[in-house]
Amino acid sequence: MTFLEIVAQLGDSMLNSIWIFLLTLLFSIPLGLLICIARLYAWKPIQWLMKIYISVVRGTPLMLQLLVIYFGPYFLFGMRLTTSYRFWAVILAFSLNYAAYFAEIFRSGIQSIPVGQHEAAYILGYGKFQKFLRIITPQMFKRVLPAVTNESITLVKDTSLAFAISYIELFTEASMIAAAETSMLPYLVAAIFYYVLNLIVAGVMSMLEKRMNYYKI
Amino acid sequence: MNYLEVSHLKKRFDKTDVLHDISFSVKEGEVVSIIGPSGSGKSTLLRCCTFLETISGGGISYMGKKAVEVNGSGKLEYAPKKEFREIQHYFGLVFQNFNLFPHYSVLRNIVEPQRLILKKSREDAEKTAMQLLEKVGLANKAKAYPCELSGGQQQRVAIVRALAMSPSILFFDEPTSALDPELTGEILEVIRLLADDHMTMVIVTHEMSFAKAISDRVIFMADGYIVEEGTPKQVFEHPEKERTRQFLAHYS
Ligand SMILES: Nc1ncnc2c1ncn2[C@@H]1O[C@H](COP(=O)(O)OP(=O)(O)O)[C@@H](O)[C@H]1O
Ligand SMILES: [Mg+2]
Repeated sequence: MTFLEIVAQLGDSMLNSIWIFLLTLLFSIPLGLLICIARLYAWKPIQWLMKIYISVVRGTPLMLQLLVIYFGPYFLFGMRLTTSYRFWAVILAFSLNYAAYFAEIFRSGIQSIPVGQHEAAYILGYGKFQKFLRIITPQMFKRVLPAVTNESITLVKDTSLAFAISYIELFTEASMIAAAETSMLPYLVAAIFYYVLNLIVAGVMSMLEKRMNYYKI
Repeated sequence: MNYLEVSHLKKRFDKTDVLHDISFSVKEGEVVSIIGPSGSGKSTLLRCCTFLETISGGGISYMGKKAVEVNGSGKLEYAPKKEFREIQHYFGLVFQNFNLFPHYSVLRNIVEPQRLILKKSREDAEKTAMQLLEKVGLANKAKAYPCELSGGQQQRVAIVRALAMSPSILFFDEPTSALDPELTGEILEVIRLLADDHMTMVIVTHEMSFAKAISDRVIFMADGYIVEEGTPKQVFEHPEKERTRQFLAHYS
């Protein structure tokens, strides 16, 4: 197979990788924010629960979490696994995992905001929720942007872990073609793809950072 | 009527008593300066009065309404929620380091609180903001962001933001201490304007000649006590206590 043929054949699985990436970001960022809020402000037992959640998720391999989420319903409840569940298991596992990392990033961002911002909002009469929504969160996002960029770049590469449950994303298919054709070319194509995708991610994030440069903290 | 009444206020951090037995009051239109060495508890006093800190003893009332009190069994008792929120509208606070919201323009810093908390219309809130900015000479900076302003300009915006909420009392905690010496003048000038308009103010400051010129009353604090209190003439020219004389000697 020629280089171009390989690229053509990998097209669909590239799209699948991109979907994993986009959907994971879409779900894990809001979920991370919720976990972070619960971790900081909820009723004490919930705070501990969130702490344990974050610690377990960050302390065990993503691949293992993926296997548990994919095979869990079958092993535990004998449920039949459908093909579409394979995809959603990937999204679920990735989102739950990345949410824990984002929660910690957001927490450090929130805690780095000077206490004077909280106090000024309180004195002016902002309620807790108004203060969080309008004063704290927007400044937090600016502060954590570089860390979120890092996390997104890692996520692009982590999409290849879906291989573990044979979900056909780029890495899985490239490996299959490489084995069938006894060629390194599919791996080269995959490497270029991940690299280019990450260039785009870095570019978009640096654009975002520039757009937030209208103020300094 | 006393706008503010502080009675037998005590404040303890962990095991150290920072405020011992502070009683004073502020009447309508009065300008009260609080002076004293650093560490004497001036900021803590303002922070207790503005509910940024809980109190450990005594009580605080605004407009004759009890805001918070430590009862006989040592428990904090606040005014009912609705009344407490109302009491919070009676005062504003100007911080030493401004604490403007950096992600908002000057105008939005001043407009948003009025809209959110006072439920004013946009036109109304902007009109108030522009009038006040005009008054402090910053109307041309309405669209700027705080990071584009000098410290003196930021502090003037912070004063306007507080004033826009129409407080009955305005507290200042060393409003010029974070500024370069050549910028203190513009802030003192603004405060002087407010005094001319009979704004009720409590000002913690190290600017002695300013305090002397502007105040109706001066309170000298040391080690968590009010050592001496009186007219500027009494406190600055004829202090009764040795501690006051020692302190003032540093400034002449
Ligand atoms: N949050 C706090 N925890 C413990 N001690 C504090 C705290 N805030 C202030 N203090 C102590 O209270 C005393 C008075 O401080 P402060 O009110 O800032 O004085 P001033 O404003 O007159 O310089 C100081 O000894 C200070 O160390
Ligand atoms: Mg102080």
